[in-house]
Amino acid sequence: MFALQLALSGLAQGAIYALVALSMCVVYRGTTVVNFGHGDLVMAGAFVVYLLVVLAGLPFYASAALAVVLLVVLGVAIEIGLIERIKAGPHVGFALMCIAFGYVLRGIARAVWGREVLPMPRVFDFPPLLIGELVLTGDAIVIFAAVGVLLVAFFALFYRSSAGRVMQAVCQSERGAALVGINVRAFHAAMWGVGAALAAIGGVLVAPITLLHPGLGASFLIKGFAAMTLGGFGSFGGAVLGGLILGVAEQLVGGYVSTKLIDITAYLVIILVLALRPNGLFGRAIAEKV
Amino acid sequence: MKLFLSALACVLATTAAAEDGVTANSIKIGIMGPFTGNASSYSKAEIGLDAYYKWVNDQGGVNGRKIETVLEDYACDGAKGVAAVKKLIYQDKVFMLHGNSCSAVAMAIKPVVVESGVPWVIAHAANPAISAPPTKNIFHGVPVGKTMGVAMGQFVASKPGTSRVAVISHTDDWAKSYCGPANDFLASKNIKPVVEVAFERGQTDATAQTLKIKQANPDFVIACLYEAETAIFLKDAKKYGLNVPVMGTAGTDLENTLKRVGDLDTVANYYVPHMYADNLDGPRLKPFAEILKKYYPNESLTAFSLIAMGSAAAVVEALKRTGREPTREKLIAELDRTKDFDTHVLAGHITWSPTDRDGVKDVAVAGFVKGKPTVLKSWGKPL
Repeated sequence: MFALQLALSGLAQGAIYALVALSMCVVYRGTTVVNFGHGDLVMAGAFVVYLLVVLAGLPFYASAALAVVLLVVLGVAIEIGLIERIKAGPHVGFALMCIAFGYVLRGIARAVWGREVLPMPRVFDFPPLLIGELVLTGDAIVIFAAVGVLLVAFFALFYRSSAGRVMQAVCQSERGAALVGINVRAFHAAMWGVGAALAAIGGVLVAPITLLHPGLGASFLIKGFAAMTLGGFGSFGGAVLGGLILGVAEQLVGGYVSTKLIDITAYLVIILVLALRPNGLFGRAIAEKV
Repeated sequence: MKLFLSALACVLATTAAAEDGVTANSIKIGIMGPFTGNASSYSKAEIGLDAYYKWVNDQGGVNGRKIETVLEDYACDGAKGVAAVKKLIYQDKVFMLHGNSCSAVAMAIKPVVVESGVPWVIAHAANPAISAPPTKNIFHGVPVGKTMGVAMGQFVASKPGTSRVAVISHTDDWAKSYCGPANDFLASKNIKPVVEVAFERGQTDATAQTLKIKQANPDFVIACLYEAETAIFLKDAKKYGLNVPVMGTAGTDLENTLKRVGDLDTVANYYVPHMYADNLDGPRLKPFAEILKKYYPNESLTAFSLIAMGSAAAVVEALKRTGREPTREKLIAELDRTKDFDTHVLAGHITWSPTDRDGVKDVAVAGFVKGKPTVLKSWGKPL
């Protein structure tokens, strides 16, 4: 029962990691940019919800929807205003730009809410579901439901719709997609918008469970990277599975080995996967013809 | 003769102004605090400190000089703390330093301050290693972690039937400074932890820790955690049905913890060391709360807000005793002559000497009684 409870909690935590990893994966696969500022988009989503719920007095679900829309706009603006402009430069410029805008977002949050660790109203505060001795908390139920619906919608859109097939085409070959008339620049902006939206949803789900502070995104960035690495860079399914495995692994390591190791589980995963299976569970090795 | 006296006055005035941070009409005090970052609510202590010095100025200052405060932020970060304190000492040329929440930062800046010889009164950070063994220029103006750790242990042991204690803590020096003495005290009563789990700063889930503690079936939990992690642990404890009292540290307070967890039920069994002479809204603390309100009208009152005012009162008294020509040497000597000084804010009186700079040695405990924060002498016994 102890192990089952740990696994259940780990799956709920892992679902958030999965969402963050998926959102990073969308940006990476769609634009080849590894977004080192992605954790701060999660934080921004959470803070926008806080702003709308606590300060503007809007209902939570309306605030959540509005936060996602605002983050889509922010994601598109980052792509068009910052990333697109440095396309011709070295690839490391993308990484530095992402780190820089992440810190700017963090700085803005600090400037506005600097001296407080902020609590969100408890919107998921319904009684836990008891299955024997197993506790399925209200938070976990909401996270499972929200992330589950979102993933089904995302995968249906990407793999089953015509828009999704266009996306896949651009992901496989930008030049080929451009030759058949697809607007690649608009596609990149859209991918940043989708990535930011998924990050915002992660923030929206996390906000009522934990407390808000400007550094909130940092740990989610590492967890997202670890999940992406485990699943295989660029694999959407892998990112989701990687997030879930990481969440469960953290709990089991904490429960059975040592709680001191929970914090470094993500780093251990990155080291082990890169050392033993660099392409992760579902990534494919890129064959280079010379 | 007139010319001689004028020249003498000039020489004396120059001498009086020779010490860094002292002019004919001001004394400059550097206040460093975590005004930003995720531990920034601790800086309420430094805000209260600044308010107190502003109030002193409105009462006429110290021996005709106004206190000029210079506030520096270090966001509870060691590297930023070192930069902030170097700026205060060598650029702003302050006469003395007062402040500092975040023990880890205090430990990082300690070598810089010791080398400079600038007097430093610690207003909030609780790690005993900051002021012990004694150095020439460092004075602790709040109870150290050891004092509070012992008080935590005493309170836990005062609950009848306590024999099984669980510990959840960060793995840093700050947490050890509370949990170590608490555990040592309990060990002296033959109570040893049945389980000890780590919960690191920045983690957002305490399920594994909570379940391990629940499995050990304790009578009491000691939680040496910062504010955010305390709230997360208390929420998880409620979720998983861990219904035992939790003894926290002075790094948290009841009012803010209640605000963070969102309902009284979750904090009803939460206790913290209480350094004040009264309840926060009690008559003895009212004048100090009004000082804060006067100079920082938008600042909410929490358990950190007034904590540095006690050591500020002691500093003002020592400065007065240095006379019209204060020097750092004189101030250090006068601080060392502070004996059994009642600050009217802190529960304990302040006593410093060259061989003992741990100034405050009495602490109570606070918990919710009938939904209201109440100061307690021991389990179930209000002060």
